[in-house]
Amino acid sequence: MNVNVVTSNDCSIICVEGRVDTTNANEFEKAVMEVVTSGINRIILDCSGLNYISSSGLRVFLIVQKKMMAIKGELRLCCLQPGIQEIFDISGFTSIFSIYPNQDLALK
Amino acid sequence: MDKILLVNNKIEELTRVAQFMEELGEEWGLPVPLVFSLNLVMEEALTNTIAYGFDDDGSHTIEIHFNKAGALLSIIITDDGHEYDPTQKKDPDISLAVEDRPIGGLGIFLIKKIMDSVQYRRINNRNNLILTKNIES
Repeated sequence: MNVNVVTSNDCSIICVEGRVDTTNANEFEKAVMEVVTSGINRIILDCSGLNYISSSGLRVFLIVQKKMMAIKGELRLCCLQPGIQEIFDISGFTSIFSIYPNQDLALK
Repeated sequence: MDKILLVNNKIEELTRVAQFMEELGEEWGLPVPLVFSLNLVMEEALTNTIAYGFDDDGSHTIEIHFNKAGALLSIIITDDGHEYDPTQKKDPDISLAVEDRPIGGLGIFLIKKIMDSVQYRRINNRNNLILTKNIES
Protein backbone atom coordinates (compact mmCIF):
# COMPACT_ATOMS: atom_id res chain seq x y z
CA MET A 1 0.00 0.00 0.00
CA ASN A 2 1.09 3.53 -0.82
CA VAL A 3 -0.47 6.77 0.37
CA ASN A 4 0.45 10.09 -1.26
CA VAL A 5 -0.89 13.41 -0.10
CA VAL A 6 -0.93 16.63 -2.13
CA THR A 7 -2.23 19.70 -0.34
CA SER A 8 -3.15 22.95 -2.04
CA ASN A 9 -4.86 26.02 -0.50
CA ASP A 10 -7.97 24.51 0.88
CA CYS A 11 -7.93 20.92 -0.25
CA SER A 12 -5.90 17.78 0.29
CA ILE A 13 -5.85 15.05 -2.30
CA ILE A 14 -4.95 11.68 -0.87
CA CYS A 15 -4.06 8.98 -3.38
CA VAL A 16 -4.15 5.46 -2.04
CA GLU A 17 -2.62 2.63 -4.04
CA GLY A 18 -2.53 -1.12 -3.66
CA ARG A 19 -4.30 -3.12 -0.97
CA VAL A 20 -5.91 -1.88 2.22
CA ASP A 21 -6.45 -4.93 4.39
CA THR A 22 -6.19 -6.19 7.96
CA THR A 23 -2.40 -6.16 7.84
CA ASN A 24 -2.07 -2.46 6.96
CA ALA A 25 -5.37 -0.73 7.77
CA ASN A 26 -3.80 0.89 10.86
CA GLU A 27 -1.07 2.39 8.73
CA PHE A 28 -3.69 3.70 6.28
CA GLU A 29 -5.75 5.13 9.14
CA LYS A 30 -2.72 6.90 10.57
CA ALA A 31 -1.78 8.46 7.21
CA VAL A 32 -5.30 9.69 6.50
CA MET A 33 -6.00 10.90 10.04
CA GLU A 34 -2.84 12.99 9.88
CA VAL A 35 -4.46 14.93 7.05
CA VAL A 36 -7.85 15.08 8.81
CA THR A 37 -6.32 16.53 11.99
CA SER A 38 -4.17 19.02 10.05
CA GLY A 39 -7.20 21.29 9.97
CA ILE A 40 -7.94 21.03 6.26
CA ASN A 41 -11.67 20.83 5.71
CA ARG A 42 -11.79 19.43 2.21
CA ILE A 43 -10.34 16.04 1.41
CA ILE A 44 -10.46 14.10 -1.82
CA LEU A 45 -9.55 10.47 -1.53
CA ASP A 46 -8.45 9.27 -4.96
CA CYS A 47 -8.92 5.50 -5.13
CA SER A 48 -7.81 4.94 -8.73
CA GLY A 49 -4.88 2.81 -7.55
CA LEU A 50 -6.79 1.00 -4.81
CA ASN A 51 -7.26 -2.56 -6.00
CA TYR A 52 -8.35 -4.37 -2.84
CA ILE A 53 -10.20 -3.48 0.32
CA SER A 54 -11.56 -5.55 3.20
CA SER A 55 -13.75 -4.61 6.16
CA SER A 56 -10.66 -3.35 7.99
CA GLY A 57 -10.19 -0.77 5.24
CA LEU A 58 -13.89 0.08 5.06
CA ARG A 59 -13.74 0.76 8.78
CA VAL A 60 -11.13 3.47 8.17
CA PHE A 61 -13.24 5.08 5.42
CA LEU A 62 -16.18 5.26 7.83
CA ILE A 63 -14.06 6.70 10.66
CA VAL A 64 -12.73 9.42 8.34
CA GLN A 65 -16.21 10.26 7.07
CA LYS A 66 -17.52 10.58 10.63
CA LYS A 67 -14.59 12.81 11.61
CA MET A 68 -15.00 15.05 8.59
CA MET A 69 -18.72 15.44 9.28
CA ALA A 70 -17.98 16.26 12.92
CA ILE A 71 -15.70 19.13 11.89
CA LYS A 72 -18.13 20.21 9.16
CA GLY A 73 -15.57 19.35 6.53
CA GLU A 74 -16.08 17.51 3.30
CA LEU A 75 -14.78 14.17 2.14
CA ARG A 76 -15.12 13.16 -1.48
CA LEU A 77 -14.03 9.89 -3.03
CA CYS A 78 -13.16 9.41 -6.65
CA CYS A 79 -12.14 6.78 -9.19
CA LEU A 80 -13.32 3.62 -7.46
CA GLN A 81 -12.38 0.49 -9.40
CA PRO A 82 -15.37 -1.81 -10.17
CA GLY A 83 -14.41 -4.38 -7.52
CA ILE A 84 -14.13 -1.69 -4.85
CA GLN A 85 -17.39 -0.10 -5.99
CA GLU A 86 -19.09 -3.47 -5.58
CA ILE A 87 -17.88 -3.80 -1.99
CA PHE A 88 -19.08 -0.26 -1.30
CA ASP A 89 -22.49 -1.16 -2.77
CA ILE A 90 -22.79 -4.34 -0.69
CA SER A 91 -21.81 -2.49 2.48
CA GLY A 92 -24.22 0.39 1.94
CA PHE A 93 -21.26 2.77 1.67
CA THR A 94 -22.27 4.12 -1.74
CA SER A 95 -25.07 6.12 -0.13
CA ILE A 96 -22.99 7.53 2.73
CA PHE A 97 -20.06 8.81 0.66
CA SER A 98 -19.88 11.36 -2.14
CA ILE A 99 -18.32 9.41 -4.97
CA TYR A 100 -17.11 10.96 -8.21
CA PRO A 101 -15.94 9.29 -11.42
CA ASN A 102 -12.76 11.39 -11.66
CA GLN A 103 -10.61 13.85 -9.73
CA ASP A 104 -11.68 16.88 -11.80
CA LEU A 105 -15.32 16.39 -10.95
CA ALA A 106 -14.46 15.75 -7.30
CA LEU A 107 -12.52 19.04 -7.23
CA LYS A 108 -15.43 21.14 -8.53
CA MET B 1 -10.15 -30.39 -7.82
CA ASP B 2 -8.88 -30.06 -4.27
CA LYS B 3 -6.42 -27.87 -2.46
CA ILE B 4 -5.50 -27.57 1.17
CA LEU B 5 -3.95 -24.57 2.87
CA LEU B 6 -2.69 -24.57 6.44
CA VAL B 7 -2.46 -21.25 8.19
CA ASN B 8 -1.01 -20.32 11.55
CA ASN B 9 -3.07 -18.09 13.89
CA LYS B 10 -1.12 -14.96 13.05
CA ILE B 11 -2.44 -11.92 11.20
CA GLU B 12 0.72 -11.79 9.04
CA GLU B 13 -0.38 -15.10 7.51
CA LEU B 14 -3.05 -13.19 5.57
CA THR B 15 -0.38 -12.03 3.12
CA ARG B 16 0.44 -15.65 2.36
CA VAL B 17 -3.27 -16.44 2.03
CA ALA B 18 -3.67 -13.64 -0.53
CA GLN B 19 -0.76 -15.07 -2.54
CA PHE B 20 -2.26 -18.54 -2.33
CA MET B 21 -5.60 -17.25 -3.60
CA GLU B 22 -3.92 -15.60 -6.60
CA GLU B 23 -2.16 -18.86 -7.45
CA LEU B 24 -5.32 -20.90 -6.97
CA GLY B 25 -7.18 -18.47 -9.23
CA GLU B 26 -4.62 -18.96 -11.97
CA GLU B 27 -4.44 -22.71 -11.57
CA TRP B 28 -8.22 -23.15 -11.60
CA GLY B 29 -8.79 -20.48 -14.25
CA LEU B 30 -10.98 -18.32 -12.03
CA PRO B 31 -11.93 -14.83 -13.23
CA VAL B 32 -10.01 -11.98 -11.57
CA PRO B 33 -13.11 -10.35 -9.94
CA LEU B 34 -13.98 -13.71 -8.37
CA VAL B 35 -10.46 -14.10 -6.98
CA PHE B 36 -10.82 -10.60 -5.48
CA SER B 37 -14.10 -11.64 -3.81
CA LEU B 38 -12.73 -14.96 -2.55
CA ASN B 39 -9.64 -13.24 -1.22
CA LEU B 40 -11.93 -10.92 0.72
CA VAL B 41 -13.99 -13.84 2.06
CA MET B 42 -10.85 -15.58 3.26
CA GLU B 43 -9.48 -12.47 4.90
CA GLU B 44 -12.74 -11.74 6.75
CA ALA B 45 -13.15 -15.31 7.99
CA LEU B 46 -9.53 -15.73 9.03
CA THR B 47 -9.21 -12.31 10.66
CA ASN B 48 -12.11 -13.19 12.96
CA THR B 49 -10.69 -16.58 13.83
CA ILE B 50 -7.14 -15.34 14.36
CA ALA B 51 -8.16 -12.26 16.37
CA TYR B 52 -10.95 -13.70 18.52
CA GLY B 53 -11.04 -17.46 18.08
CA PHE B 54 -8.45 -18.68 20.55
CA ASP B 55 -8.43 -18.35 24.32
CA ASP B 56 -4.71 -18.88 24.72
CA ASP B 57 -1.61 -17.31 23.17
CA GLY B 58 -0.43 -20.61 21.75
CA SER B 59 0.10 -21.58 18.16
CA HIS B 60 -2.89 -23.04 16.32
CA THR B 61 -3.29 -24.33 12.79
CA ILE B 62 -6.30 -23.33 10.76
CA GLU B 63 -7.10 -25.72 7.92
CA ILE B 64 -8.70 -24.56 4.72
CA HIS B 65 -9.99 -27.01 2.14
CA PHE B 66 -10.87 -25.78 -1.31
CA ASN B 67 -12.88 -27.90 -3.69
CA LYS B 68 -14.18 -27.20 -7.15
CA ALA B 69 -16.66 -29.66 -8.60
CA GLY B 70 -17.96 -28.33 -11.89
CA ALA B 71 -19.36 -24.90 -11.16
CA LEU B 72 -19.56 -25.45 -7.42
CA LEU B 73 -16.77 -24.02 -5.32
CA SER B 74 -16.62 -25.07 -1.66
CA ILE B 75 -14.35 -23.73 1.03
CA ILE B 76 -14.23 -25.37 4.45
CA ILE B 77 -12.35 -23.59 7.21
CA THR B 78 -11.71 -25.53 10.39
CA ASP B 79 -9.99 -24.56 13.63
CA ASP B 80 -9.71 -25.75 17.21
CA GLY B 81 -10.70 -22.44 18.76
CA HIS B 82 -13.65 -21.93 21.07
CA GLU B 83 -17.11 -22.56 19.70
CA TYR B 84 -18.27 -19.67 17.57
CA ASP B 85 -21.01 -19.66 14.98
CA PRO B 86 -20.62 -16.56 12.81
CA THR B 87 -23.85 -17.31 10.94
CA GLN B 88 -25.74 -16.28 14.10
CA LYS B 89 -24.37 -12.76 13.95
CA LYS B 90 -27.02 -10.19 13.12
CA ASP B 91 -26.57 -8.39 9.81
CA PRO B 92 -25.68 -4.70 10.09
CA ASP B 93 -28.30 -2.16 9.07
CA ILE B 94 -26.69 -0.77 5.92
CA SER B 95 -29.41 1.83 5.44
CA LEU B 96 -28.33 3.88 8.48
CA ALA B 97 -26.98 7.41 8.08
CA VAL B 98 -23.26 8.00 8.62
CA GLU B 99 -23.72 9.29 12.20
CA ASP B 100 -25.61 6.15 13.17
CA ARG B 101 -23.47 3.57 11.38
CA PRO B 102 -21.42 1.61 13.89
CA ILE B 103 -17.71 1.24 13.13
CA GLY B 104 -17.01 -2.34 12.09
CA GLY B 105 -19.22 -5.41 11.98
CA LEU B 106 -19.09 -5.82 8.21
CA GLY B 107 -16.80 -8.85 7.92
CA ILE B 108 -19.26 -11.71 8.27
CA PHE B 109 -21.86 -9.74 6.35
CA LEU B 110 -19.51 -9.46 3.36
CA ILE B 111 -18.89 -13.22 3.47
CA LYS B 112 -22.65 -13.89 3.43
CA LYS B 113 -23.20 -11.49 0.56
CA ILE B 114 -20.40 -12.88 -1.61
CA MET B 115 -20.97 -16.59 -1.03
CA ASP B 116 -24.19 -18.43 -1.90
CA SER B 117 -24.29 -20.36 1.35
CA VAL B 118 -22.57 -20.08 4.71
CA GLN B 119 -23.00 -22.90 7.19
CA TYR B 120 -21.47 -23.62 10.55
CA ARG B 121 -20.93 -26.94 12.28
CA ARG B 122 -19.16 -27.85 15.49
CA ILE B 123 -17.57 -31.28 14.99
CA ASN B 124 -15.14 -32.97 17.41
CA ASN B 125 -14.47 -29.71 19.24
CA ARG B 126 -13.61 -27.96 16.01
CA ASN B 127 -15.31 -25.07 14.26
CA ASN B 128 -16.23 -25.81 10.65
CA LEU B 129 -17.25 -22.95 8.44
CA ILE B 130 -18.60 -24.28 5.17
CA LEU B 131 -18.85 -21.80 2.32
CA THR B 132 -20.14 -22.51 -1.15
CA LYS B 133 -20.57 -20.53 -4.32
CA ASN B 134 -21.78 -21.34 -7.78
CA ILE B 135 -19.01 -19.76 -9.81
CA GLU B 136 -20.54 -20.02 -13.23
CA SER B 137 -23.70 -18.14 -12.44
